[in-house]
Amino acid sequence: MGQPDRHQAIEEKSTRSLLSVWEVVELARHANRPYSLDFLQRWAPDFVELHGDRLTGDDPALVAGVGTWHGRTVMFMGHQKGRSLADRVSRNWGMMHPEGYRKALRLARQAAKFGFPIVTLIDTPGAYPGASAEERGIASAIGTAIQEWFQIPVPVVCAVIGEGGSGGALGLAVADRVLMLENAIYSVASPESAASIVWRDNSLKVEAAEQLQITSRDLIAMGVVEEIVPEPGGAAHSNHDATAQVLGEAIWRNLEPLLKQRPGDLLQHRYERFRYIDSLVTAHPQFGPKVEPRLVS
Amino acid sequence: MPAPAPRVLREVPAAGGKLPSIAIGTNCPSCGVGLIARELQKQVYVCHCGHHFRLHAEAWLALLADAGTWQERWADIRGHDLLEWRLPKSYQQTIDQALQQGLNESVRTGTAKLAGHPLWLSVFDFRFVGGTLSIVAGERLARGLEQAAQSGLPYLLVTASGGARMQEGVLALMQMAKVNAAVGRLHQAGVPYFVLLTDPTFGGVSASLALLGDVNLAEPSAAIGFTGARVIKQATYADLPEGFQSAAFQLRSGQVDQVVPRTELRSRLARLLDLYSHAGRS
Repeated sequence: MGQPDRHQAIEEKSTRSLLSVWEVVELARHANRPYSLDFLQRWAPDFVELHGDRLTGDDPALVAGVGTWHGRTVMFMGHQKGRSLADRVSRNWGMMHPEGYRKALRLARQAAKFGFPIVTLIDTPGAYPGASAEERGIASAIGTAIQEWFQIPVPVVCAVIGEGGSGGALGLAVADRVLMLENAIYSVASPESAASIVWRDNSLKVEAAEQLQITSRDLIAMGVVEEIVPEPGGAAHSNHDATAQVLGEAIWRNLEPLLKQRPGDLLQHRYERFRYIDSLVTAHPQFGPKVEPRLVS
Repeated sequence: MPAPAPRVLREVPAAGGKLPSIAIGTNCPSCGVGLIARELQKQVYVCHCGHHFRLHAEAWLALLADAGTWQERWADIRGHDLLEWRLPKSYQQTIDQALQQGLNESVRTGTAKLAGHPLWLSVFDFRFVGGTLSIVAGERLARGLEQAAQSGLPYLLVTASGGARMQEGVLALMQMAKVNAAVGRLHQAGVPYFVLLTDPTFGGVSASLALLGDVNLAEPSAAIGFTGARVIKQATYADLPEGFQSAAFQLRSGQVDQVVPRTELRSRLARLLDLYSHAGRS
């Protein structure tokens, strides 16, 4: 916004895959990019939002609830950014507090109770980096969520729709399949944070973004995501309807075969998906011989 | 059936073996008293005023393991620079230099005995790129956790880390899921998991396996949190209160079970190992 010419130029380049890494970051953060609710309203018009972690509060940075999709009840959850300033403030820019991760787990367990498959949408710069989150145990809330997702015996498909930042994203991204919109990013830390950590200077965000390898093409090459979903017209913000259409099709195509898997197999495959996700590095000769795990099932 | 033998509190020395010497200044940074290296070594690097000096991996192993019982596993695995990281210097150079200095990655893992109890023991080493969680570290942790789940030996983790290793990108982030999946299996197998949080424990380590212990202990001097104070101030312009993210703060916030001085640590762990090895399972 405020730079229409620049954004138009980026869109044109995007259709030809000529974007710089930083231009992809700008698209992932574009103020008109479709957010979780833009997708949920289109996929499941009967969506009912469910609030609260049943412990201390509700986190507006996470929208979650149930809706009918392809003839069955599905549990949806996703980071939610706001579009107006007031909305952005109330959604805390999509940065979750501990209550968000606890709400996600409560509803994941509920989905398991009813056998609802789960779709999660990732769009966060990271978990909230503030004192209120620390005081209420943000670290253990994320750690517990990551651990518990491995024990939710229903299919989970995740899509990174905008920013996938750090542990704040991963707390919602332990899934059987992870997809990425073409111009989404997924990173160990936001480029600003990484620059601040490595160089103590967050103005080096562009260099950090390039080093970190955070675009969908990087992620699929590393074997961290299963599929890239092309953005219609080169940029998701230019057409919310068409983007919801192609992303919905891709998620369902990945979800449907999982519905037939036995819960035990599903959890074993989810375990192995993350246990060997770094095989590009661990299969290298200098890493040494692979140790066959003796797993307790 | 004979009544089970009553359990008695045992005398457990503060250290299982002789600690290596650690570089310390001439004066204690807390109380200013002049330090005598040999005395401090005997006091497991705790000043009379209570200041706890940071220990590295070898020192933790010497302190915790009964002398001669430490058997390291998977010490030979080596990562490489997948992202071709160049700035401010090449990542390959960073890890090669650390290896040349005799450091072997940010996590060391293996088996040992503590006051006679066999266990799995993993220690972070803050000297290796800030103790950051890397692929090698994650692999050592996951393998040990899987084997502990299989064998039923308790697992003790000592943390000291700035978080995930930036230079390994999103694959470092994925280590959080990899190790937490393995911790989940350890819990499901009914195996005790104890964590000792030392200074500092942050980011991708505090938000993965560090706070998932059946019992979380913290050293009195440990700063523990998700986001470091410097970044919180930068992001929110907040004034942080004295003692924010201290071990006492995390005890109050419900994140740790006990704050234990290093001089009492080993006997506390021995008692926990006694108590939890008599769990309901056969």
